[in-house]
Amino acid sequence: MNWLLPGLILFLLVNLLAGLWRVWRGPSSADRMMSALLFGSTSVAVLILMAEWQGIRALRHVALLVVMLAAIIAITYVGISGARDKGSETNPDRKAP
Amino acid sequence: MVIDVFLALGLVVLAWQALIGGSLFRGIVMFIVFGMVLTLAWAWLGSPDLAMAEAAIGAGVTGALIMIAYWRLRRINAVEPRDPSPARSRLALVIAVLATGLVGAIGLAAVSALTGDATAARVMNETLPDTGLGNPITGVLIVFRNLDTLLEVAVVLAAYIAARAALGRESADLPLPPAPDTPLLTPLVVTLAPLTMVVAIYLLKAGSQYPGGAFQASALLAALGVLLVLTGRVGPAAAANWLTRAGLVIGTLVFCLVGLGMLVIGAPLLAIPGIWAVYLIEAAMMISIGLTLVLLFAGAPGLSGKRS
Amino acid sequence: MSLLLDAFAALLLLIGAFFYLAGTVGLIRFPDALSRLHALTKADNIGLLSICAGSALMAGELRVALLLLLIWLMALFAATVSAHLIARRSLRDAEDSGADAGKSPS
Repeated sequence: MNWLLPGLILFLLVNLLAGLWRVWRGPSSADRMMSALLFGSTSVAVLILMAEWQGIRALRHVALLVVMLAAIIAITYVGISGARDKGSETNPDRKAP
Repeated sequence: MVIDVFLALGLVVLAWQALIGGSLFRGIVMFIVFGMVLTLAWAWLGSPDLAMAEAAIGAGVTGALIMIAYWRLRRINAVEPRDPSPARSRLALVIAVLATGLVGAIGLAAVSALTGDATAARVMNETLPDTGLGNPITGVLIVFRNLDTLLEVAVVLAAYIAARAALGRESADLPLPPAPDTPLLTPLVVTLAPLTMVVAIYLLKAGSQYPGGAFQASALLAALGVLLVLTGRVGPAAAANWLTRAGLVIGTLVFCLVGLGMLVIGAPLLAIPGIWAVYLIEAAMMISIGLTLVLLFAGAPGLSGKRS
Repeated sequence: MSLLLDAFAALLLLIGAFFYLAGTVGLIRFPDALSRLHALTKADNIGLLSICAGSALMAGELRVALLLLLIWLMALFAATVSAHLIARRSLRDAEDSGADAGKSPS
């Protein structure tokens, strides 16, 4: 089963590419943000598989780092989009692409 | 091989998407995603040190910095400009060609360094065991090329001083978004904060033998600081207290003192007397770099326990 | 026995990849932001669990297994809080503008 791990890594990367379409398309900033979430959790899986495939234990530590940072990005996003001033009703991220 | 090509092409597409116009927010998310894919690329190339640094700094702290900048920009100018990309300059093509040439030259040099007589690398590999270190990257950073590292720490300090000078006295009024009011935040903070500190100190200690080290640990601590600022556990203060000032300079100071101290006992300048010195310097660097990043994020001279 | 274990690990990895695929399909195909979020976070967490379990079986070390468990628990935590915050944000956007931000057509 030599092909299994690299095959799965490639499969997950293709998944990421598909998720990229949602970042590009939007339409709301929440959509873009949740695609970033997808990238985070898929990256973790890819890192775990790479650690297994290449035999580099430290890549699992990289995965732990990515997991711990994922929440920070989400909180930043909610903080910034939650505190808009009045008069910014025209959400530019919702304009037609 | 397929994965290599996929990652390389993906990075180019993401970099292009992060830079072109359209929605500014889309560009920011593309940049964060770019950081994540770059992390995967480093991991695939077998460089966990770089992957860690990229994950913590590129995707984590820089992403938060750009987002907060976006938020402040929107407070100044509520309506986003339709096309944030600047008009295309005639110089763009020349710059692109020059940049491509530079990258190509560096790439060729790297390839020939791998195949040619890589003297510095060979010397380092031969003498690394004498230093007691197991991680060649920490060896280069702290022992073999530590003047570069010292200058990097000094650059971080200088950049912070420059930012403070540019902001002047108004910086204490830089706005921060209000903390999201949800009961889930407290459990998140009380779980993440201690765990982040444990992992940061582990990375610092493991850095002497395995991938990790001061830069990765400080980026992780900075991310924790960003989290604490955003959730209102820590707030900006109008002035720096002595602890903040000490924390900002301790990295440069300890590095210089160890390096100069070697002259006193008759050793060469910046020689590293032992593995304890590596830990000492790295711990001081971790505090300084982490604190600098958090202060830059908060846009304030100091930090206080409660947000006013 | 070892062959059986390897086969089981491979099966777990494949199941994990399937759930990731499901999450991505949901992210692309579902009509509004809230259901996309729902599909993404739930499916990805199961996918990650399955991949962590398969990888732990392959590695066959307690240390690695515990680290992978920690990674999964943290991912669960982060995904929960992030999904909650993003969903609230999406709802509030919809209320603020009076339009249906969470229901924009795909």
